Amino acid sequence: MEQGQGSAADEIREPAGAGEPAGAGEPAGAGDPTAPAPAAPVVAAPVVAAAPAPAPRTSTRRRFVTYLLGFSVVTTLALIAAPIIAFLVPPPELSAGTSGKVLAGTTADIPPGKGKVVAMGSKPTIVVNTEQGVKAYSAICTHLGCIVTYDNQSTSILCPCHGGHFSPTTGAVISGPPPSPLAPVTVIVEGDQIFLVGA
Amino acid sequence: MTAETDLRPAPDLRPAPDGPGGWFESRTGIRELAAALLHVRIPVEARTMYFGGIALFLFMIQAGTGTLLALYYKPTPDAAYDSVISIMSNISFGWLIRSVHHWAANLMILFVVLHLLRVFFQAAFKRPRELTWLMGVGLLGITMVFGFTGYLLPWDQRAYWATVVGTEIAGSVPIIGEQLLLLLRGGADVTAATLSRFFGIHVLVLPIALAGLLAIHLTLVHQLGLANPKKIDPMPGPPPSSARKFFPDYVLDEVIAWYLIIAILVVLASIFPASVEAKANPLETPPETKPEWYFLAVYEFLKLVPKLIGILLPMVGLAILTIWPFLERSPEVLMRRRKIVVAFATFTLVVGIYLTGVGLGFFTVPEFLHFA
Repeated sequence: MEQGQGSAADEIREPAGAGEPAGAGEPAGAGDPTAPAPAAPVVAAPVVAAAPAPAPRTSTRRRFVTYLLGFSVVTTLALIAAPIIAFLVPPPELSAGTSGKVLAGTTADIPPGKGKVVAMGSKPTIVVNTEQGVKAYSAICTHLGCIVTYDNQSTSILCPCHGGHFSPTTGAVISGPPPSPLAPVTVIVEGDQIFLVGA
Repeated sequence: MTAETDLRPAPDLRPAPDGPGGWFESRTGIRELAAALLHVRIPVEARTMYFGGIALFLFMIQAGTGTLLALYYKPTPDAAYDSVISIMSNISFGWLIRSVHHWAANLMILFVVLHLLRVFFQAAFKRPRELTWLMGVGLLGITMVFGFTGYLLPWDQRAYWATVVGTEIAGSVPIIGEQLLLLLRGGADVTAATLSRFFGIHVLVLPIALAGLLAIHLTLVHQLGLANPKKIDPMPGPPPSSARKFFPDYVLDEVIAWYLIIAILVVLASIFPASVEAKANPLETPPETKPEWYFLAVYEFLKLVPKLIGILLPMVGLAILTIWPFLERSPEVLMRRRKIVVAFATFTLVVGIYLTGVGLGFFTVPEFLHFA
């Protein structure tokens, strides 16, 4: 089946190749790197040599089929790759945190001048009872993602990994490598209960 | 003759052509290997119907889709069912990946069996291809264990009870049955331990085992060439005079067959997506608990005859099938010269198809054939 098609295509190409000047020494389809070299010298060359040469159109049909085949292969691969890539993207539900009001503890748990890391859904949050009221920040250090703690000695928020210090009242960087302040989390104190409000 | 080095052919140090292809070639020598693998001649009379190649392609699809499913699947009784539901409803194209995995599994069994039947009826297993046949029967066995272990993983009612019944049948095997049951289930009952075992076997043990056997199978096919279904193989003999090129002729046909298989898989997955039943409940057996279609013949056979015969006879049959090349040793390949063998095999095949039809509800077995 395939051989039949191949030989038919060769037949189409042959007279055109013969149309080129005999002395040029350039094989048919030389401009097309995909076309195979002619298998045998063209016998009819001297006879057809006089005819006007439609040289640029020689391999149009073959080239068209080649492009068509290439397009089909690329399309097939894209059709297989697209669902696979989409499949690999995790759905949004799996990476989301908790929204709404979360009870973080009571003022008895976190007396003035103390701090505590609590889980808000899957997001660790640090709650500190400062002189300016109860404050809460994301406990994920902005440097390289370690979980910060409240350091009683320096009365600041400390990252244990690389020694970054944050202000308990504003979340701003006091010293160390963190590039930006800790993201604040909204706190509501009702009586002695401390609630965090998720985004 | 003074030095060994004199006898060795000079290494081929052709100057590598320019460009990345030449760069790669001069560092790997891959061209010679590729030529040895691809430039094989096959008899013009050979009619493989591409069954083996299709089975190979389906295994490749299973490896791909299975790896993807394993990224989201959770192999514990508490989480398995929900993770399958999540794959079907939350993950983009999860329904497609799982349904293609489901359908490719069924088609893989079908095409491995068709491949076996083709080789059997064409007598392509005969000398010198007995080992190729042995590896092939091993591959069929692995494929069926793949089906059996994979069936449990969704942990729904159908999965759970098919595994209970299936392992129970294994437990009825004389002498070793009780130990086999414990080994399969990882305990007395189908529990979390069973799920862990089946998952480990399904995603680690079987793929490696199948890949290994397949490598031997394909190497033997390459070394021995395809059998001629019309002529007795000369052994040792010259290569067939009228031969087809494996590459590109046969490979092109095979790739066309693979394209059709992709189309069939996507259509089947879209129209008949893999389903999930209610979550497994060890306290309630659903009505109409049946195994997958490829176990239906044995399942129905078990209903018709005494239990011991129903379990032993298929095992004996499988053993005979495995060693068949050593039993049918005449070099004849033409069906008209193997009339008894062909007749018996056809009878067995028809009975198998009939019993499968009974299992699917197409026929009912007449009363006088009930021996149980």
